[in-house]
This record gives sequence, structure tokens and C-alpha cells, in this order.
Amino acid sequence: MLLKNAPVLFNEQVAANLYHVGFECPDIARRVQPGQFLMIRVAREFDPLLRRPFAVHRLESACIEILYRVVGRGTSILAGLTPGDSINILGPLGRGFRLPSGGGPILLVAGGIGIAPLPFLAEILLAAGNTGPHYLLFGAGKAEELVCVDHLEDLGFVTTVVTEDGSSGEKGLVTDHLERWLDGQQQLPVLIYSCGPYAMQRKVAHCALRFGIPCQLSMEALMACGVGACLGCSLRCKPPASETEPYYANVCQHGPVFTAEEIIWEQC
Amino acid sequence: MNRQGLAVQLGPLQLKNPVMVASGTFGYGQEYVDMVRPDLLGALVVKGISLEPRPGNPPPRIWETYGGMLNAIGLQNVGARVFVEEKLPWLKTFAVPVIVNIFGNTLEEYRSLAAMLDGCPGIAALEINISCPNVKAGGMVFGTDPHMVSQVVAMVRSATALPIITKLTPNVTDITVTARAAEQAGSDALSLINTISGMAVNVETRRPRLANVVGGLSGPAIKPIALRLVWQVVQAVSIPVIGLGGISSTEDALEFLIAGARAIQVGTANFVNPRITLEIIEGLQTYLQRHGFSHINEVIGSLQLSESSTD
Ligand SMILES: Cc1cc2nc3c(=O)[nH]c(=O)nc-3n(C[C@H](O)[C@H](O)[C@H](O)COP(=O)(O)OP(=O)(O)OC[C@H]3O[C@@H](n4cnc5c(N)ncnc54)[C@H](O)[C@@H]3O)c2cc1C
Ligand SMILES: Cc1cc2nc3c(=O)[nH]c(=O)nc-3n(C[C@H](O)[C@H](O)[C@H](O)COP(=O)(O)O)c2cc1C
Ligand code: FES
Repeated sequence: MLLKNAPVLFNEQVAANLYHVGFECPDIARRVQPGQFLMIRVAREFDPLLRRPFAVHRLESACIEILYRVVGRGTSILAGLTPGDSINILGPLGRGFRLPSGGGPILLVAGGIGIAPLPFLAEILLAAGNTGPHYLLFGAGKAEELVCVDHLEDLGFVTTVVTEDGSSGEKGLVTDHLERWLDGQQQLPVLIYSCGPYAMQRKVAHCALRFGIPCQLSMEALMACGVGACLGCSLRCKPPASETEPYYANVCQHGPVFTAEEIIWEQC
Repeated sequence: MNRQGLAVQLGPLQLKNPVMVASGTFGYGQEYVDMVRPDLLGALVVKGISLEPRPGNPPPRIWETYGGMLNAIGLQNVGARVFVEEKLPWLKTFAVPVIVNIFGNTLEEYRSLAAMLDGCPGIAALEINISCPNVKAGGMVFGTDPHMVSQVVAMVRSATALPIITKLTPNVTDITVTARAAEQAGSDALSLINTISGMAVNVETRRPRLANVVGGLSGPAIKPIALRLVWQVVQAVSIPVIGLGGISSTEDALEFLIAGARAIQVGTANFVNPRITLEIIEGLQTYLQRHGFSHINEVIGSLQLSESSTD
């Protein structure tokens, strides 16, 4: 784990509230794995105080890219950065996605900004020689939030999009579509990777468990330290084999990627 | 790096510099080792431990507020046995005083814990946490009642030969009362403050931001309160006082030292800048040189209250 100041190379708006930022940080770029994240200090002073967690979206040699949605004070400041500004980052952090050991179909499921870590994963899957076939199910509120689709299609991902308002692809939730999609598949995926809001992740996990498909989910939590020191980012998990009591895992340290079986899913 | 002039004496404890990390904000040292070599610190206070492991409170456990954060971790910890067997051996490999923050639900638990840790090589002192606002039994209930403070401290004193530091809560009307109670019961030093009880509400859902409803406020927002309490306690007791609460820069650390704290702890600021403690140690050295002081003791308690002090 490294602490670095990194110059911003570009920071572009890609949709109404979505931005794509790239910054130069060869040392972190060399070490980072798909699914890992960075803690970014968005302010120079103490407002906002805490760092903000972001998944690595893509790597372009020494340039690390992040895709982010503006939701509050921190992400608004981030959106104001211009090339030449520098940001302080801590990373790479957490345990990322584990790659499949054998071949067979792979399915990526994304909800909204949950698309962020998937292009990096897709590129590494291909680089690791995984021959697929590869699928992406991507759900968003409306058509313009469906970013990165072209890129994943170029990589050979067969993509299905779903929007809540029906402005692109099928109308509805990605999870409604997931069940139908799995039902209609000749050959089930050997692995599902998923990232999105909690309610979606819960349904994806249930679905994967019902079809008996191994599933890795990148989870979110409010974070203060990002390294396992504050115990703030807890997620209730089933006890490991040797234990009996459920426990709180640290999303930053034991995750952010968990398997569907590990998590005790709460009502929401 | 030569760090002359920064060594401080805290009762029986000798520290190479007055900068420590606060309990619960630096894990067990391992979490930050890539950024801070533990032996550069004056002392390392580990996450509070109890006799048995504790699962902690349900999430959400933290919420950022203006200049600070609320937490209701609920003293999640691995328990004393795992701490001694799995965390302490690694910590012992560094030449840093390890201060173990201890917490119990009952007087007897404090005693057993102190007795158990007494025999463990590699522990420099115990910090008695009687001030956590996030647990139902014990915790702050002990820390707000001067009679209970005396009992807990006396109980720990009888069970260990290790130096004991009592960590006080700010959630009282007059902190000098609990400070004196701890001193009289045999505490070697005091540390203050623990977090201040606080709360935040999501107005859209009209639900509390923390599952526990209330939590402890820490960070820059609490610094003036912490500084005032440290200054009051320094006047009221003769044992050394360790100041903490919102310290995030060299200047913050100096404010506490000038007000009379013999050492300081950095908490929440570690999350913001993991290397802040090292920057503060460096900054203190520079301050001594800039002001022509040969030792940090010339700074400690040097608050100028006379008219000639205005500048
Ligand atoms: C491991 C991890 C990876 C992430 N990766 C990305 C990413 O690639 N792209 C991206 O856009 N976002 C990502 N997030 C979420 C991102 O961290 C938050 O959106 C961001 O911290 C909000 O900061 P803010 O100051 O703008 O919002 P604030 O002003 O702090 O809060 C505004 C609102 O945002 C929501 N929010 C705040 N923090 C979080 C959080 N940690 N998770 C979810 N919602 C939050 C809350 O509902 C809050 O009310 C990730 C979160 C985690 C834990
Ligand atoms: C996430 C978190 C966990 C904490 N855990 C403990 C603990 O286990 N024991 C304890 O005595 N204090 C604990 N504290 C309190 C801190 O040690 C410190 O007293 C407080 O945060 C004020 O200092 P600061 O403003 O520099 O953070 C915790 C604080 C935070 C933010
Ligand atoms: S954010 Fe601090 S433990 Fe995960």
C-alpha cells in the first residue's frame, strides 16, 4: 500500500453526473488488481475530512482511471479538478476479484455506477487467456448512464442493457432480467461478477445461489481508514468453517469483493 | 534522524518523543506499517481489548460530520487471548512502547484483564478505557461516576505492576472531579479526551445515520473542547496528562503541549493522512530549533497567561 500525490491527466464529464478521471501514478498502477480500490483525499484542508473510496476503472500503463458519480461534497470537488492539479491517493487497497481457474462462460452484472470496476476486470480476464464466452448485463436508470458499453462490446462481451425508464434496451431492473436470462441459457456461466447497489447485489446473490453459480460481489460501505484500522466498514458475514458465530468483516480489508455465500444478507 | 530534545517522561514511562497514536485509530500497528514504522512513534496505543472477543455494533457505524466523524464501532476486538498470541509478538519486534487500551463490562473483568496482561512481556503500560460512549454496560457509565472511576482504577492498580493511564471521558460536567478520582486511586497518568457523544439524522428517511443512533464525535471539530479540558485537568492534578482530541497538525500538537500536556495522541487524523504522526514529530523538532529551545520540556506547560504574553 502506497501514499502518493498524483497529477491529474484528464477529468471528463461522460454523462449528466458521471465523470471519468485519469491520473498518473506508475507505482500504484504497477501493483493494482481488478476490484481493488483507492482512498482519495479530495480536499486539501479538512472539509470534507475523510478520504473517499473509489474502484479502479481502467489502467493505461502509468495512468489510473476512475469512473465516478457526483453524489455529494467530495465527488463535487473531484469533478472540479483539472489537468495539472494533483490528488493524494492511498492504495491499492482491499482484495479484488479472483480470476476463474478454468474456462467457460463468464457473466458480469452491473447496476449504475457499479459498472466502474468491470472494464479493468474484463481486460484482465482476457489478458489471462480466458476464452469465455463473455456476457455483460447492465442496468441503469436511463440510457445516458449506460457508459462503457461500446468498450466492453469491443472486447467481445455480449451485452444486454436494461433501463428503469425503458429509454434503452428492456424496461425494468437488471435483476428481473437476470433470472430470465439464466433460465434461457443453454450453458450456465461458471462465474458471476457483480457490482451495484445493495438491493441489487442481494438479488444477484440469491439468484446465483439458486442456480448454483459461484458469484463474486464488490460491496460498498462507508469507510474512514480503508485499511482495517477503524472497523467502521463492517459487513455481517457467516462464520468461517472453524467458528460458530457470525462476524463483521471489514469491507476495506476482507473485501470489497466477497462471495455470495459469505455474506449474511439483510432486508432492505 | 537525530531527535534530540523530544524525549519525555510520563510518570514511569520514558518516551523518545511525545507523539503517540490513539486507541482505535491505528489498529494493532500492522494496518499502517507500510506507511509508519511503529518504532518512530513515541508510543503505540492499540485498539481497545476486552477479556472476550466482541463482535461490535451493527452497521452503519460511522458518519462524517463537519470537521469530524461520528463512530459507534462498539469496541469490536479480537479479545485478550488472540491479542497476546497473535498481535503482540509482531508488535514486540519494534522498539516502541506498546500501550494496551483495556475495557471491561464489570470491575472484575477489568481486574482479570489487567492481571492477565501484567505477565505479558512487551507491554509498556495499560490505558484504562472507562470512557467509550458506544457500549451499553460499563464503558462511559464507569467514566462519568467519580466513585466508579476510583474503583476501576484501584482494581486495576491492585492487579498489575504496569504503569496505568486512565482515559477520561469529556461527557461529564466537571472533568477535574473524575481526573482527581483517578489520580487518588493510583493512576500514573491520564489521557483525555475520548469522543464526545453525538448524533446525526438522515432527513430524507428520518432515520439516524448510525444504527446505534448515537456515537462518539472525533476529529478537528472537537479540538477546542479537548484543549480546554486538558488545560483544566493539568491545573487540577499532579500526574502527567496526555492530550488528544482533534490533533491533526504540528500546531495542534503544540497547543496541547503548551497547555500542559506531557504527550499527545493522534486519532482520526491518521485516517486522513496516515503519515501525520511522523510529520508532527518532524514539526516539533523544527519548532524547537526555530524558537531556540533545547528541549520539549521548555515548551510543555509554557502557556503565557500574563499581559506580556500578547503578540
Ligand atoms: C470500495 C468502494 C468503491 C467505490 N467505488 C466507486 C466508484 O468507482 N465510483 C463511484 O462513483 N463511487 C464509488 N464508491 C462510492 C463512493 O465512495 C461515494 O459515492 C463517495 O464516497 C461519496 O462521496 P461524497 O463526498 O461525494 O458524498 P457525501 O457528501 O459524503 O455523501 C453524499 C451521499 O453519498 C452517499 N455515500 C457516501 N459515501 C458512500 C459510500 N462509501 N458508498 C455509497 N454511497 C455513499 C450517501 O448516501 C450520502 O448521503 C465506492 C465505494 C466503496 C466503498
Ligand atoms: C473509529 C474509532 C475507534 C475508537 N476506538 C477506541 C477504543 O477502542 N478505545 C478508546 O479508548 N478510544 C477509542 N477511540 C477514541 C480515540 O482514541 C480518541 O480518544 C478520539 O477519537 C479523540 O481523538 P481524535 O479526535 O484525535 O480522533 C476511537 C475513536 C475512533 C474514531
Ligand atoms: S474503513 Fe476503516 S476498517 Fe474499513
